[in-house]
Parts: sequence; structure tokens; C-alpha cells
Amino acid sequence: MKKISLTAIAIIITTICIAQVKLNFAILNTQPPAQLSEWGNRREVLTLMATGQPGAPGGGQFKIKTEIKTLDGTVIGNADLARTPVFTLNSTGTPTILFANDVMPLEFMVFTGKYKTSLERTGKLPAGNYIICVRPVNIIDYTPLGEEQCKTFYLASTQLPILMKPYNEEVLDAKKAQTAIIFRWSPVVPTQPSPVTYRIQVFEVLPTQSPVQAMRSNQPLLDKEIVAATQFIWQPQLSFLPYDGETKKLPTFVWTIQSLDVNHNPVTQTDGNGEGRSEPLIFFVNPDKNKKPAKEN
Amino acid sequence: MFVTTSFAQEVTDSLLNKAKDKVKEKLQISGTMGITYEGYGLSRSPSGWTGYQPRRPWHQVRFNFTPTFKFSKNFSLPFNFNFAAIPTNFAGPYAGIKKPSFGQFITNPMNSFGINPKYKWAELQLGTQYLKYSELSTGDIGVFGVGVDLRPKIFRFKFFTGISQQGINYVAGPPIVTGAYKRKNWMAQIGVEKEDSYLFAINIAKGKDVPTSAAPPPLTIRPQEGIVISLVSDLYLEKGFYFKAEGAQSTFTKDLATPLSPNLKSLKPFIEAHTSTITDFAAQAAVGKKGKNLDLGVMVKYLGAGFQTIGYPFLQSDRLDYLLNTRINAWKNKMNIVASLGQRVNNVKNTALRAKQFIGNLNWFTQFSDKFSLNINYNNFGFQTASGLNPFGIKNVSNDLGINPTFTFTGKKIIHLISMSYNYSKYDERDVMTGLTTSNNTHTGLLTYVPTYLEKEISPDFSILYFYNNVPGAKITLATFSAALSMQAAKKKMRLRGQLQYTLGKLNSFSSNNNLIASCNIDFKLTKKLTWATFLTTNYFKYGNEIIPNGANYVETGCRTGFQYRFDTKKQK
Repeated sequence: MKKISLTAIAIIITTICIAQVKLNFAILNTQPPAQLSEWGNRREVLTLMATGQPGAPGGGQFKIKTEIKTLDGTVIGNADLARTPVFTLNSTGTPTILFANDVMPLEFMVFTGKYKTSLERTGKLPAGNYIICVRPVNIIDYTPLGEEQCKTFYLASTQLPILMKPYNEEVLDAKKAQTAIIFRWSPVVPTQPSPVTYRIQVFEVLPTQSPVQAMRSNQPLLDKEIVAATQFIWQPQLSFLPYDGETKKLPTFVWTIQSLDVNHNPVTQTDGNGEGRSEPLIFFVNPDKNKKPAKEN
Repeated sequence: MFVTTSFAQEVTDSLLNKAKDKVKEKLQISGTMGITYEGYGLSRSPSGWTGYQPRRPWHQVRFNFTPTFKFSKNFSLPFNFNFAAIPTNFAGPYAGIKKPSFGQFITNPMNSFGINPKYKWAELQLGTQYLKYSELSTGDIGVFGVGVDLRPKIFRFKFFTGISQQGINYVAGPPIVTGAYKRKNWMAQIGVEKEDSYLFAINIAKGKDVPTSAAPPPLTIRPQEGIVISLVSDLYLEKGFYFKAEGAQSTFTKDLATPLSPNLKSLKPFIEAHTSTITDFAAQAAVGKKGKNLDLGVMVKYLGAGFQTIGYPFLQSDRLDYLLNTRINAWKNKMNIVASLGQRVNNVKNTALRAKQFIGNLNWFTQFSDKFSLNINYNNFGFQTASGLNPFGIKNVSNDLGINPTFTFTGKKIIHLISMSYNYSKYDERDVMTGLTTSNNTHTGLLTYVPTYLEKEISPDFSILYFYNNVPGAKITLATFSAALSMQAAKKKMRLRGQLQYTLGKLNSFSSNNNLIASCNIDFKLTKKLTWATFLTTNYFKYGNEIIPNGANYVETGCRTGFQYRFDTKKQK
């Protein structure tokens, strides 16, 4: 009994001596942005709390050994400890709070193989489940100062909707179009945790404008938010101007979808235009389909 | 002395007049200038109800001044001024801006101020320019700046630099102003070209935001920097064969606020790598043959997941498209078939979430006789992804079939045209959680009658349309009656067109809604060069009891009127 007690006391003392710094994930978003550089802009992605004994040898200084692994435990990226920053525990004993830029500084992270290639080309890792592991280490010889903490997360790059109908440069019959125009688009991929709001916008393209110019200049004729559905039937309630013999142009419109999350922010702010807007398409309305045989745009 | 002076004066006057005449003879002006006013009104009832939002600016005045001064065979000076008095930006960097500075007004995409003096093969580009260098480098944005387009013999050299957007401060609102960073652009092209024969060129296009240009800065937009280098080649051979290809590499920093990274390759001196810098590739190629009765072409386009350009801000990357196009004229040009078949693969890099989209279009027109023609069209768009974290993957399929017979009967004084059209549209969506597919079916029937009077100056048309959409939980029925009349008046100087349209709509078992639209166009040729065009419209919509408050209604009115003056010194002679 005495032996057991002594052994237990020895283990506790050893643990206290070695585990001078304790790291805890306060927050780790299980579906963080696929763009790794974006983690640093969002505090809700990763928050780490460091606690321990500031008076211990080393003055409470430590580095964080960060590793990114696949589910089978293969390390695909780790921090270059020679270059990572040094942190110091708060002398008051209150936890030191660290964010993604501290824990996973991309400028000091070294990735391998296809993961490195993917990161260089896209800024993202291939879609899938990953594990992030952090451990406090000595700033001189990188010996562990505490236990390793690991969390799993899922990465998938968000694909904005692709506009399907009216397809690009489709010529609609004005007689039908002035009653109803059907718009269809593909959903945001992958399926988001909360329903996506699709903001559909239709702009008139004036004869002197290019489609993108019209989109960035004009007030939309249609500006409607549709939650979780990928079709909208629009009753334009417009009288389309007749074929313009001067400019040889049919009435032209440009349409796009802006995909918004539950907070009304673009579902992806790092891809493309940063506005979450899909590649716009144009369509024409032919008011004189029975009189003029073909579009002349 | 007096005689000498007088003689000298006469000679001088004569020479001056001759010179003036010569200048007059040589100076040719073509193009247009004009002013257009647009007014919009919206009256909603009951008062205080805001269920319908205005969709045009209350007032707008647009100006255009686009003459080309041609001083000689070799020297021309075209102006391209198109601008509006009130900013109405709703999307993009200027969204929400109300009181722009002079710099913001000049670079606002709704305004263009361009002058392009051209002497022989040398063109100076000043002001707003929408320059398209190629499909993968730059082409969608307007830049205000200065540049050249030099084309000596077969050589091509283009350079342009300027600002595509000014810094705009974020405003929390309301109304919210998203804000934007000032963006500087540079672009250049060097190559050789022979029109309708070949083109080989290297393009380079760069854009860089100024991070300090907006205070407070935009919340959701990051300051960016990007460069793209592309190689283009077009080749047009005999018998209509053609080959076009372009390969491009982009290096793009998604956030200039991220730290510099020694781990990533920089493209110095053009761009220095940050942790958010990515480098990827894109390529496209098209090969085919164009003929009188047969066109056949294949197009392949690949955009790497990290391919991004400043010049095409809405380009969706990470995709592979391939498309087969054809056009056939047969039966002495009485049969015309246009078809395309292809596939688009999205998320090419991430096989776990790869999405495939099938594309199929067919339009088949046949003129069987002078009295009867038939048009058939079919479109299919299918979209499918793997399941990812969900039990089922996304699967959306859109099918559209249209049949449109047209009959023409010719009498002594009148030609009767009767056109019928039926469209069936089916849209299937799979629920990613349950795997159940929901069908959304739409039927549209249209009957149009167009009598053409051979001895009268009036041409009316009448149509009836029935629209029915059925999706679980919602049934929409619309019936539209419309009539239009166009005619000429005032010794053919005035062209008039009026239209009336009534639509009766019904959603499920709610009471019907009613919509009446009336519009009128008046185009008046005041002189040979001056025209006055006016478009007036009004739209009345009254809801059934499908919304609260019951019986809500609104009236929209619109007016567009403007004068256009056409310069044409050549015709005057």
C-alpha cells in the first residue's frame, strides 16, 4: 500500500514538473473556411487557451508544435519550430489566448506532397477530414512541455451556384417572357450547415453597356432573396422595348445569383469576386419574334 | 502701296478660304450625341405597405457624346462619352455609393469618358477603356487611364495603365456601403496578327489594390493583387478550318494583409508571395470548320481551382468544360439545325465533391412550305455531385421541350400569321438528406395572331398565353391576353407602338391576382439628323389574398424620353 502511494505521489510530481503548459481548444470550427489563409481573419475559427506555471524554468516561455494529419494519422504539415513565434504565459495566471495566426502561422508551416501542391495552387487542402494537433514545447530543444491536444475538422471548398436557365445568350420570346421567366441554378456545393439564401438579380443592359458594366452600374429590375430553393418564376411586369433598328440590338439582360449565409454574408469571401456572386449570364428578349427571324446582336 | 496691300489681302483671303474649304472637305464627322431622361413612379396601397420595392431610379438623366472626327484618311479622333447624373450602383465596388467624389464619378462603371485618337496604325487610348486582350487575361472591366495600341504591319503592341476602381469607405448604414479598395491596373500585349489569318500574342495583365485607400475599410472584401500571363494563338485555314488556343498562368494574392511567405514562389518583380498567394493554370482550345451549310466545332476549357484574374472578376474557376457544336442548313436552306452537346465538370481538384453538369441543346427549324413552318427545341441541363457528408449527393435535372408551328395565309389585302407554341419544362431536385426527388413541372401554351395589312400602315398583333407551374405545395396559374398595334404617322416621320397586356394569376386556392400593363412608344424624326424617342409605361398589380394585407396593390409608371442628334457630314454632301 505504501509502495502504491509513493508511486502515485511520484507520478503526480513528475506530471506537474513536465506539464508546465496546458493547451486547450476553446473553439475549433469543425467546418472552417477551406482557404487556410482566411482562418487568421476569423476569430471564430480557432481559439486556443494556454495555462500553466509562469514561474517555472524557462520563464513560462513556450512554442507550439502544430501538426496537421489525415484521419489515419499521417502528418501532412507541421510547424517549422525554428521559425515559429515564442509565447509567454501570463504572469497573473490568467490564460493566454491564441488564434489561428498564432497556432498555425502559414508562413512557417511546411506541408508535404500533394497537400503542398494543392495549397500552392489553390490555397486549400483537398476536401476531406483532417486532425489538427498542438503541443507546447521548450523554446530551446523543443522538448514537450505539456500534453498534445487534437481536434478533427472537415474542409471542403465552397462552389458557387452555376446558372442554368435561361442559358447564356438564350433568346426568349417576349410574349412568353413578359408573363413569366423561369430561372434555375445549381445549389451551393457542398450542402451548407444552414440554409443558403440565394439573391437573384436581373439587370437591364443598355445599348452602350457591356453586361458586367451593366451589372455594376444599374439598379436591378429583379432583386429577390430565395431561401434554399434553386428555381424562381419571375413575373417581370415589363413592356419590353421593341427591336432597336438603330443599334441592331435586342433588349438584353444580365442575371446572377449571390449566395448568402445565415448571417447574410457571402458564403465565400475569398473566391472570385469576394461577393459570393456567380458568373453572370445574359439573355435577350425578342419582342418581334414573329416579324424578325433572328437576333442580330 | 494700297494696291499691293489690297492685292495681298485678297490673295490671303482666297488662300484661307481654300484652306477652310479643304479642311471642310476633309473633315468628316459621324456618330451621335444625345440626352435621355428616365422617370419612375411607384404608388403602393394600402399606405405604409412596403411589400413591393422600387426597381428603377426615381429620376435619371443620361448623356451620350460619341462623334468620330475624321481629319484625313489617316487621322481620326473618336470620342466615347456616356455618363449619367445619378449613381445607381447595386452590385460591385460602387454598390450603395450616393455622393461620389470627382474621382469616383469618373471611374464609376456607369460612366465612360474615352478618347482614342488614331493616326495610321497608332492609336492613343485615353480615359475609360473596356479592353479585351483575350478570354483568359483581361476583358470584363473598364479602366480609366492611358495607353497605346500600335499595329505596324503585322506587329501588335498594346499597353494600358489606369484605375479600375477608386477607394470607397465602408458605411455601416443604413444604407450600407460595402466599400472597395482603390485598384490600379496594368496590361500589355505583344504579338503578330494578320486579320482572318493568324494571331500569336503574349498578354500580361496585373491589378493591385491599395490597402490604405479606404477608411474604414470594407468588412467582407480583402485587398488583392493578381497577375496573369497568357499565350494566345488563332489560326484560320482554307475551307473554313480554324484553330484557337490560349494557355495562361495566374498568380493571385487573395489578401494583401496576410504575411509574406518564403514557402511560396514569388513572381518577382511583378508580385511577391504572401501566405494567401496562389498560382494556377488555365487553358482553352477550339477547333472546327465553318461552312455555308455546315459548322462543326469542338471546344475544351480548363480553369484550375486557383486560377483567378483581375480582368474577369466573376470567372468561376475549378472546372473543365467540353462542348461539341454544330449548325446544319439543309433542304435548300429551309431546314436549320443548331445543336450542342457537352459536359462541365466542377470541383475538378476535389474528387470527393466533384460535380458534373450535362449540357444538351437542340433547335430544329423547318420551313415546310410558304404556309407552314415548325420549330422544335430541346434543352437539358443536369447537375450532379457526390454525397460528401450527406447521405445523398445533389442531383438536379432540368429538361425543356418546345414545339412551335407557324401558319401563314396570304390574301389579297392581308397576310394572316398564326403561331402556336407549347413548352414543357421539368425540373427534378433530389433531397440530399432523404434521397427523395421533387418534380417541378411547367406547361406554357401560347397562341399569337399577326395580321399584316398590305395596303395599310398599321400592324396589330394579338396573343393569349397560359402558364401552369406545379410543384408539391404550390400551383401557379397565369393567363395573359395581350394586344399591340404599331403604325406610322406624320408622313412616316412618326412611328407609334402601343401595347396592352392583362394577366390573371392564381396561387393555390388563394383568390386571383390581376395585372394590367399598358405601354406606348413614340419615335419622332424631327429632322434628318434629329430624333425624339419616348417610351411610356404603366403597370398595375393587385394581389389576391395570398399576402397580407389582403388586396394590396401597386402602380408603377415609367417614362424614358430623349433626343438623339446624328452627325453625318458625309451624307449631307
